[in-house]
Amino acid sequence: MDNFLKKITKDVDLSFAILLSFCVYVFFAINIEVFFSHNISFAILERFAVLGLVGLALTICIIAGEIDLSIGSNAALCAVIVVKLTDPLGAPLAMIIGLSVSTLIGATQGFVIAFIRIRAIVITVGTLMLLRGVALLIAEEKTVMLTDFRVPDFITTKVLMYFSPASLTVIFIFICVGIFMRYTKYGREIYAIGGARKEALTAGIPLRRPMIIAFALSGFCAGFAGTVIGLKSGTAQGLGLQYLLLAGTVAAFVGGVSILGGKGGVLGAAIGALTVNFLNTGLVFYALQVHFVQLFTSVLLVIVIVFQTMSRVFDSRQARKSLLATIDERKTSLLEKKRSALG
Amino acid sequence: MSAIIENNQLPFSAKFLQFYKDRTLLAILLSLFAVMFIYGIFFTENYLTITNFKAIIRDAALYGIMAIGLTFVTLSGNFFLLSLKETASICGVTFAMGMATGFGSPDLAGNFLVSLLAALAVGVVSGVIQGYFVGMGGNPIVVTLGGAGILYGIGAWWSDNLVINFTRPHDAEWLGTGSFLGLPSITWSFILIAIAAEIVLRHTNFGRKVYLVGANKAAGKATGHENFSMAIIVFTICSVCCAFVAVAFVAQMDSAQSNYFSAEFGSSGDMTILVIATVMVGGNSIMGGYGSTLRTSLGAIFIAMVDNMMVLQGFNSGPRIVGVGLMIVFSIIVFGLFAKGSRAQE
Repeated sequence: MDNFLKKITKDVDLSFAILLSFCVYVFFAINIEVFFSHNISFAILERFAVLGLVGLALTICIIAGEIDLSIGSNAALCAVIVVKLTDPLGAPLAMIIGLSVSTLIGATQGFVIAFIRIRAIVITVGTLMLLRGVALLIAEEKTVMLTDFRVPDFITTKVLMYFSPASLTVIFIFICVGIFMRYTKYGREIYAIGGARKEALTAGIPLRRPMIIAFALSGFCAGFAGTVIGLKSGTAQGLGLQYLLLAGTVAAFVGGVSILGGKGGVLGAAIGALTVNFLNTGLVFYALQVHFVQLFTSVLLVIVIVFQTMSRVFDSRQARKSLLATIDERKTSLLEKKRSALG
Repeated sequence: MSAIIENNQLPFSAKFLQFYKDRTLLAILLSLFAVMFIYGIFFTENYLTITNFKAIIRDAALYGIMAIGLTFVTLSGNFFLLSLKETASICGVTFAMGMATGFGSPDLAGNFLVSLLAALAVGVVSGVIQGYFVGMGGNPIVVTLGGAGILYGIGAWWSDNLVINFTRPHDAEWLGTGSFLGLPSITWSFILIAIAAEIVLRHTNFGRKVYLVGANKAAGKATGHENFSMAIIVFTICSVCCAFVAVAFVAQMDSAQSNYFSAEFGSSGDMTILVIATVMVGGNSIMGGYGSTLRTSLGAIFIAMVDNMMVLQGFNSGPRIVGVGLMIVFSIIVFGLFAKGSRAQE
């Protein structure tokens, strides 16, 4: 029991994430009869393929202590490129080109951030607009469409009852990124520059390498999400996919990353994305308009922020209390010593 | 403020360099202005007409007013709000509701003052709530991202996602389409708000506090100016500016909808990003403590000028968005390079 309590208190945010996702799932499972069925599970995993990736992209950036606002535009650009090139070049080559463009954009952003040493929110607001414009230019301000809608069928076929090639690939990416972040030097560097940047730099960790890796990974994930969306629907728009930023941020924060950086992980991102997916999928059954979905997702975000802020305030108060207590103890012991010395 | 504090500790040569750096950004902006202007005179038809300049300033006024509000937030070190357009849209819906139905009581329908006060009140409430969360220690980006979804959801819910119309003649025409001494009312409001904001920032106790808290949060806290009350005040100022723009815009259009300020607003896709771009192109430091509303106003006019020229040259929305995006990235990189080593990073 003690061990269990220790585990919970060690990572409060992750425990809260698991609790929250459990609550959301149970709520819908009780209220909607079919929620606990194979088809719904398949649908949730299909959505997870997109949202999980965006959540993962933001999680990596936030772990590095920065936030990438341009993932929506990056995903839209990649979707436009992939959909546009699928007709002349075939899907695999188009995907490779689109993903490499997205990854390159991410890496460039990381380089600029590390080279000029500015905050990522500043530069990514600019690239948000720039990439959106580029996507519009490439799409020639129209909706790009596939001519043959059977081409991308291969990513939506059911495998093993619950999975599709898309969701299997995404789960594979999750595992790889998880291992990379946790067990390799490069992954640990990302944690280091996020958690304590000054100390990490003083200790000799370069700023450029982890920053470039983090943003390249985030660009790759955003691009992959855009690819999946674009191929699945067969269409892409330059101005689309901006909702991914909100959904991804909610997923990352529900998953227990701290905005201060250096905290959180891939497991959390997966749980956060699943929570948002439960919510979105559940709300579908109530036939609500799209702004309600946005409203409830934002409410989820606010709940998590309030919880995180409260726990931080609580922690600092506890620390202060214990500090004051130790000071008091020392004072009393000193006084006693003096008294005994005076006789 | 920060420059003054730093200057006192530096030797003379460094002082001179600092002074030069401060002015270089303004010089770059002004020379870009000049280049654009000369290019416009020679290569664009109908550019050098008074009507066109009125149009430029009128365009600049809409997002300029919001950007001036946002400058307070940025100067105080709270980055920016991602809920600008949502705040504006919910305030616009409120105003249109008041003008069309009087919030349920037919006596008040079409009453300009009541509708205006209601819209401003909505702005104040949303600003105070978001500022409260930020002041408690939440990250401004995340808090306002959540706030954006909630505000948009409530606005769309309230208006059933429909367009709310009210018919002319109404009491708000003078604000929407009226003009005074040849300039539209919205342009006059922009000029007056810009002057007022500059005076408040330069010559009042509150304005200096904004700079202090933005330049150095720890010093601000040590001297008794906590970010908590500051965040609430600056967020309220920003939201009220959004509410005012929304009222003027709705008064002009005689209608409101919850996504009036969303995608494809004006030229550059997204009102929120356009306003943030205005603040950045003006050369204000996003980290806070450095900049002024004068810069923001210049940035607004600059963006409007570039956009106007591209429209006259017959560009579509794609290249125009790329143009504004390039301007933001360029100004960020130039600013970052000049400020490198001083306060670019916390």
